[in-house]
Amino acid sequence: MADKKTDVIIIGAGAGGGVVAKELATNGFSVVLFERGDWPDYDKHINDELISQRVQDLGSAFGPDWEKHPRVMIDEQGDRHQIHAGDGAYGHVAACVGSGTVSYGAMAWRFMKEDFLLKSTYGMVEDSTLDDWPITYDDLEPYYEKAEWEIGVAGDDYRNPFAPPRRKPHPMPPFEFNREGTYLADVCKRLGLHPFSIPMLRNSVPYNGRPACIRNRTCCGYACPVDAKNGTHNTVIPEAIRTGNCIVRTNCVVAEILVNDQGKATGVRYFDEKGKGRTQEADIIVVSASATETARLLLNSKSKLFPDGAGNNNDWVGRNLQGHAYTGASGLFDFDILDLSGPGACMAICDYNHHNEGIIGGGLLATEFYTLPYAFSQSRPPGEARWGINHKNYQRENYYRLGRLVGPIQEIPHFEARVTVDPVVKDHWGIPVVAFSGNRHPIDIKHCSFLAEKAEHILKEAGAIRTWQHGGGYGLSGGQHQAGTCRMGNDPKTSVTNKYGQVHDIDNLFIADGSLIVTNGGFNPALTIMALGYWVGDYIVKTYK
Amino acid sequence: MRITRRKFLQSLGLLYGSVLYLPSCRRNDSEYRVFTSSEADTLIALCEQIIPADHDPGATDAGVIYFIDRLLHQRFPELLPVYQYGLKALDQSVRELYGFPFISLSSGLQMEVLKKMEMDELPATYWKERKSSSFFNQVIRNTMQGFYGSPRHGGNKNYASYRMLKLDFPLVVGQNRYNHGR
Repeated sequence: MADKKTDVIIIGAGAGGGVVAKELATNGFSVVLFERGDWPDYDKHINDELISQRVQDLGSAFGPDWEKHPRVMIDEQGDRHQIHAGDGAYGHVAACVGSGTVSYGAMAWRFMKEDFLLKSTYGMVEDSTLDDWPITYDDLEPYYEKAEWEIGVAGDDYRNPFAPPRRKPHPMPPFEFNREGTYLADVCKRLGLHPFSIPMLRNSVPYNGRPACIRNRTCCGYACPVDAKNGTHNTVIPEAIRTGNCIVRTNCVVAEILVNDQGKATGVRYFDEKGKGRTQEADIIVVSASATETARLLLNSKSKLFPDGAGNNNDWVGRNLQGHAYTGASGLFDFDILDLSGPGACMAICDYNHHNEGIIGGGLLATEFYTLPYAFSQSRPPGEARWGINHKNYQRENYYRLGRLVGPIQEIPHFEARVTVDPVVKDHWGIPVVAFSGNRHPIDIKHCSFLAEKAEHILKEAGAIRTWQHGGGYGLSGGQHQAGTCRMGNDPKTSVTNKYGQVHDIDNLFIADGSLIVTNGGFNPALTIMALGYWVGDYIVKTYK
Repeated sequence: MRITRRKFLQSLGLLYGSVLYLPSCRRNDSEYRVFTSSEADTLIALCEQIIPADHDPGATDAGVIYFIDRLLHQRFPELLPVYQYGLKALDQSVRELYGFPFISLSSGLQMEVLKKMEMDELPATYWKERKSSSFFNQVIRNTMQGFYGSPRHGGNKNYASYRMLKLDFPLVVGQNRYNHGR
């Protein structure tokens, strides 16, 4: 069954797709925005740690459904394992309107200038696909600004000497430090480091008709009970709908992009909320389904000119999967360093993001989001009892005494870290699913240790009586910071899209999500994905209006 | 007398309930959904060693058994054979070693058994299909979920673990910073 033709189809209502929907709808394009999940519903998962996005032991509060959306993980021996969204290897990101922007911790980082020029700054790394972006920080700066003002960021670069230049300040004042932030900031200053308040996509004061943050302890991994956390679901998507030009089709699963024999995308084949197969035609198609699902959709879209999937004639779709190994250290103090003034993370340093001896890139270090009791029971120091009275004593004594400094390390892209589609396993609708294979670049381990050592040093200087490091292993990256699988670039042989997210050789097919990212920075990427949404949206408006 | 829909349903419930209690229809004499009462007794003792009661409630007081029972009934029925196998193997191992069922051992001996489970040192003949350490890991994980997770899943009765950690409960929207005597 065919639906009425629209100007634009956007697939995926997350950080990238929500922004593009608003940019196009407000400029008079008719838009159909597809989302495989539903609108987020706070009452369905209020404060339930076991289904929160940081635990997911009993389910995934923000989707996807475990049974309907399986994936496959191919291990180092080549054995295939079917996995569900609760498995660590699944690389989960929320499947609902707003996607991760509903449940994220909401850090609002701009990448630094060097993050766009990693290869020029540090030189090539063996066995990697390290490259510069085809755009610079200066190109993206106005779009970062737009994201900050339209979606809403609280922050102040004044105390961060490493922040890239900006034309306009953040729209909201920065958050104050909680007890842990105050204490560790003093120590950092004493060590000659430069602590500052983390920029957050969260209201420090009422903004855009919604209230200020209430410093809830269940923030990262949860939806906000007072709607003070800013995502695309409560800003740009409602704005797109208000124009009357945007229809959001929730619970609809897009199976394939239809590409004709002239190399034009003509529409999509999808399953509606009742599971019925339909087609929707459009002049322009934008894919923003996350680095894993965007790659899967392109690979599943086979046509005469693109027999291995849309935009995949050079075998670059699904390659270079990146995420972030969160690395850092924990320290136990002999006093209550936590006051549970949420969300936890509030203080950061960027002293170790670049220009570290012997390290390519680096990463920020920040205090950590609070954990509820179950996750806390999993964060004991090595060798600590995991059961019995000693376990209980540890929990009781230390819940308020665990200080943490962690951050996302810059990952070095690796061609073999990849998303393919599985030849056997299909989802609920019969569509071949994501299969992960490969692992991260081995040099990441060294970078993780570097940052973890810095974090542990600060905690020791702060007087922690017991400290330990944590970092990533060799395993495949991805997860909530997933990126890189449809790289933008100037050379069609080593990229999937041009610098505007336009797929090489399919002029009316665009990508607007983390897939475009060449290198994923030493920062949480949400604001960069939003900025890329504005960047791609702006190009479409200028080209097609 | 007019029989309302509500009353009608109630009487059906009673009838159905009484059928359930006819001996021939009962799976066992258990108050649990998936465990026999002897399985449940062993599991309760096992969980209580994982999180023992002292001046704060332990796994039994917090209703961890009800959490696991519901978990295996509703959420992960595929885990039921793991538990059935593990609980049987544990009981057989302990009977061989000590001549008594696990629940009859002193707390000190039970702890010794848990250490052996953890190290795969129980008689191998009863653990051919699954390792005792992997069963133990499963029980630890589910005990932690039941003790520390949200009470809506059947465990953490009256927010026992939240009280223990001096966390206010349930979470009140607003500035959640009360003292609880700290």
